[in-house]
Amino acid sequence: MSKVGKKMGEKQNYKDPSMFTNRELSWTLFNERVLSEARDKSIPLFERLKFLSITASNLDEFFMVRVASLKDMVNAHYTKPDIAGLTPLEQLQQLNAATHRIVNLQYSTYKRSLLPQLCLNGLRVIEKHEELTEEEAAYVDQYFEENVYPVLTPMAVDSSRPFPLIRNKSLNLGALVRKKSEGKEGSGSLEFATVQVPSVLSRIVPVPSGKAGERLVILLEEVIERNISRLFLNYDIVCTFPFRIMRNADLTIEEDEAEDLLKEIEKQIKKRQWGQAIRLEVEAGIDNRLLKIIQDELDIEEPDIYKIDGPLDLTFLMKMYGLEGFEHLKNPPYTPQPVPEIVPDENIFDQIRERDILLHHPYQTFTPVVDFIRQAAKDENVLAIKQTLYRVSGNSPIIAALAQAAENGKQVSVLVELKARFDEENNIVWARKLEKAGCHVIYGLVGLKTHSKITLVVRREEDGIRRYVHLGTGNYNDATAKLYTDLGLLTCKEAIGEDATAVFNMLSGYSEPLSWNKLSLAPLWLKNRFLYLIQRETEHAKEGRPAHIIAKMNSLCDRDVMAALYEASASGVKIELIVRGICCLKVGMPGISENISVRSIVGNFLEHSRIFYFENDGKSEVFLGSADWMPRNLERRVEILFPVEDPDLKEKVMHILEGQLRDNVKAHVLMPSGEYEKVDKRGKVLYNSQEGFCLEAIQAAKQNKEENSRVFIPETHVE
Amino acid sequence: MSVRMFAAIMVGSYEISMKIFEFSKKGNMREIDFIRQKIELGTDTYATGKISYARVDELCSILSRFKQIMTAYQVDEYKAYGTSAIRETENTTIILDQIRLRTGIEVSVLSNSEQRFLDYKSTATRGEHFKNMINRGTAIVDISGGSIQISLFDSDRLVTTQNMRLGVLRIRERLLKLQAKPSQYEQLIDEMVSTQLEVFQKLYLKDKVIPSITLVDDYVSLIMQRHMEKNGEENYVRTEDFNRFVDRIKRHNAIETARALGITEEDAFLLFISSVMTNRMLKLMKAELLWAPGVTLTDGMAYEYAEKNKIFVPAHDFEQDILACAQNISKRYMGSRKRGETLEQICLTIFDSMKKVHGLGKRERLLLRLAALLHDCGKYISMVNVGECSYSIIMATEIIGLSHREREIVAGVVKYNHLDFAYYSEQGRVTDLDREAYLIVAKLVAILRVANGLDRSHKQKFKYIKANLKDDELVLTVDTMEDITLEKGLFESKADFFEEVYSIRPVIKQKKNF
Repeated sequence: MSKVGKKMGEKQNYKDPSMFTNRELSWTLFNERVLSEARDKSIPLFERLKFLSITASNLDEFFMVRVASLKDMVNAHYTKPDIAGLTPLEQLQQLNAATHRIVNLQYSTYKRSLLPQLCLNGLRVIEKHEELTEEEAAYVDQYFEENVYPVLTPMAVDSSRPFPLIRNKSLNLGALVRKKSEGKEGSGSLEFATVQVPSVLSRIVPVPSGKAGERLVILLEEVIERNISRLFLNYDIVCTFPFRIMRNADLTIEEDEAEDLLKEIEKQIKKRQWGQAIRLEVEAGIDNRLLKIIQDELDIEEPDIYKIDGPLDLTFLMKMYGLEGFEHLKNPPYTPQPVPEIVPDENIFDQIRERDILLHHPYQTFTPVVDFIRQAAKDENVLAIKQTLYRVSGNSPIIAALAQAAENGKQVSVLVELKARFDEENNIVWARKLEKAGCHVIYGLVGLKTHSKITLVVRREEDGIRRYVHLGTGNYNDATAKLYTDLGLLTCKEAIGEDATAVFNMLSGYSEPLSWNKLSLAPLWLKNRFLYLIQRETEHAKEGRPAHIIAKMNSLCDRDVMAALYEASASGVKIELIVRGICCLKVGMPGISENISVRSIVGNFLEHSRIFYFENDGKSEVFLGSADWMPRNLERRVEILFPVEDPDLKEKVMHILEGQLRDNVKAHVLMPSGEYEKVDKRGKVLYNSQEGFCLEAIQAAKQNKEENSRVFIPETHVE
Repeated sequence: MSVRMFAAIMVGSYEISMKIFEFSKKGNMREIDFIRQKIELGTDTYATGKISYARVDELCSILSRFKQIMTAYQVDEYKAYGTSAIRETENTTIILDQIRLRTGIEVSVLSNSEQRFLDYKSTATRGEHFKNMINRGTAIVDISGGSIQISLFDSDRLVTTQNMRLGVLRIRERLLKLQAKPSQYEQLIDEMVSTQLEVFQKLYLKDKVIPSITLVDDYVSLIMQRHMEKNGEENYVRTEDFNRFVDRIKRHNAIETARALGITEEDAFLLFISSVMTNRMLKLMKAELLWAPGVTLTDGMAYEYAEKNKIFVPAHDFEQDILACAQNISKRYMGSRKRGETLEQICLTIFDSMKKVHGLGKRERLLLRLAALLHDCGKYISMVNVGECSYSIIMATEIIGLSHREREIVAGVVKYNHLDFAYYSEQGRVTDLDREAYLIVAKLVAILRVANGLDRSHKQKFKYIKANLKDDELVLTVDTMEDITLEKGLFESKADFFEEVYSIRPVIKQKKNF
């Protein structure tokens, strides 16, 4: 043990704050990378709208969770610096500059490049209701009368009526009004009135256009603004401006105190809209008197006010993306391809028994995973199905299959993670549904989020019990499986089956197994395992043997892991990281991280798979998992890392890593300055890895179909 | 025969566990699932003598969930055993009844000697390793929550087995009660165990060197299993390596140990106690090798199930261990080995010839052999009160592999061989035996008495004896040239009781062969 102590002493050198980037600031860089896709002229116009919308919803979530949490810390006078040496207050200050910069960039993109382009392509967005022609205005007013007016709840504030609750993330119109008194203007005091732009109605209101080949739309808030006087009949409207607030939503539950976790979460959801306001967006040019009323009432400080030159809440662009008739301005839709190793209507268990099967979503279809559970539900030899569910689509076929399995008398255990952020309400509904069907539902572990994705099917076969396991890097969500890149493994290897049984025993509250065969689990073992794997490369490099690490993940911010990577790099290990989002590691520090490269791929699909390759002195090892190298994944969640051992499958996984490392279209490379830059394409053959994988999947499916459709006709003997 | 599923449940002092086993058509045993849940029954029992209602409630809900798991696996048969926490609690019967009513699971209580025997059998699931160890000589040190059991083996034979109330939980309770500082723990553990170990050494070890220790425990074995099985090695460690390991955990507190080994702090403390005790044993036996097969009682239960259902051929004759144990007890109390063996032989001849009449099985046959071997151990204390004294000795001595009930049967048979038989309805009898056990006693006494009568002179006059059942007579043909007047004369009184029990009259027929 003294040896360990010495090692830790050495590592201190790699934990200096100057060696790390603050995670929040790194996140803003990620959002800027997404934004750069919206600004990329080589991308179809409507795809750019989508990217811009994503940056907006990303930013919203970032405020609600991360900024809110920093605010909490500041309010609690918490001054402990982060790994980069910044106190919460310093972080907030630096973030403020960054988020304002992003917002400015968002709107200049919207106004200067996207709006004109849309117009050129036949879609005109009427920015101000004042621009409407008489005819158009008449249509809009009628639309207001028929569709909007009935669902509005206008609220005026005076001494007898308190300031109304402004809902989190809702778009509102604020107005200064003055009571009409004997038709004279200028008398009476100014009052505040507000109305929420109803979220039940589409924000995009199509308006008939007189010109052929042109489509016109106006935003709902403009329609309401135009008609606001009809809401406050006894008042004169002095001015009207849209505003939007963001509240603290970091949901922390005192689990030890909560007797019934379900009820507690329901309570928390109701409470969430009452959280502290942390951001106020208003239209640029807002009347200062109006702003002051809102500002005072919400108790919000100057730096947290965003004056915006354009429509608030750009997430409506996702709806705009969905407008029909602009298919030529979008990427052609991609259909996930069938998996060549799986014949759809045949028994999937027989096929898994033949060999392990690797699934690569969304290039390959998610159907085999759904089928795996569907078939298990009906198979008379199946005794039990166990699964962890984290985020599930609204009308999940998996939930239906699990319920059916329970009704068919199988033992069905489902771990439902209620703590999946923003999804709680959704989760509770189908958890109850499963319980009703007779499933044994486990509501997560106290203090730990269950983030692992694992399914176990126990089958009684001729020669005894056989366990079939699906392990994945992504959630069991058939909807996101079309958008997120993830890997899955179907296997019936005994060693993994035993471990899977142990995983579910642990999740059911039983003691941990004595030992694990193949899997490594967070929060107890995984971090040490990663540190060991990295250190093993370090040792090999020190002995002059080849040492190489390739790791792909969503975020990298665990200090111990980064320190181990620095140490490895310093010892000569070649380290190639593919980190989509946050990366607190710095590259190119002399003597520390010169052997480390970091690239981020932001493409059509959301990069989501976690892949880890270790050279291990020629006996290379490849792992897949649900965990990022983040403290929350390694220390506060249940995560699983699993090996890919079949040589063919290993090769497939390596092919994915190589493709991503070769990508020079969608890859941004982290520079020693801390900035991300696109790869220099001059003189190179362009390669977009996501497109490449799409083509390969199509090719493989086609080839497989051809091979299988070949029919040999036997000769018949003629006498 | 198709694939069979068996569930073994153990209600231990600090943990309830269940293993699901699968026996293939070829007789291979495979562990399918191992479920464990901590529950501190022992803390209740050892501290207050009773298991509280809340704990019983918890226990029942765990067992209900176990039952669901058994159903899911479509288990063919199960066995559930309770160990010391259940055995030593004052409200055992009530608790077992509660469990039965609320979960439908029948839990039987294991006597210490049965429990240890199963632990011992569990090591036999390790096949060749097990054979090697007991052939070369080993001490099976079985450390549980309440006590430890040391069983010495020498060339495939069990020499002795002793129980000491020095379990890890018991020691932890005492350490906590003393409010000692962690730095004092080692010395305190030393003081607690050394007196008993010294007695053990004086009585059984003397200067003997035991080449190896086979460890059955929940902590040291676990660590060894985690760190060695990964590399595919069997869990052997040399004494000096183990000592180094103990030195290391001594230098760290529970938190550090827990973190380094990936276990809970609670377990780290118990690991410390278990390690220090193992370390002392190695020193005491001068053993050079430690083997921790990492098996549990549930493995032994599966082994027994397979043995009983003839799923596979046993690796070792465990009945022989029980007999060896009885022979050693007899030897300690100066019993004559020759006389014992003659008696045993005559008893078995009669027993086997009477199979149709007595309807007893293999197990009762073993009890009869034990009674024959121990028939006069009480004379070591008193020549007059042989019956009572023998009974007391047997009841106070551990015979590995026997349940409490079986031990009482053996003691009863020995006692009534000497004393007048006390009938079941007789008032004031001191016995817990049920009617069925009582009948076994009567049947076995009848046989032992006749056998005893045939060897009245203790001179082993009959080298061969044949028994033939003819109608209502059992003809015992003895083949001897010697004068058997004494035997014949005294035989009548013995025969009366035999006739009373079986309605069959034993008669002696002498055959003189030259």
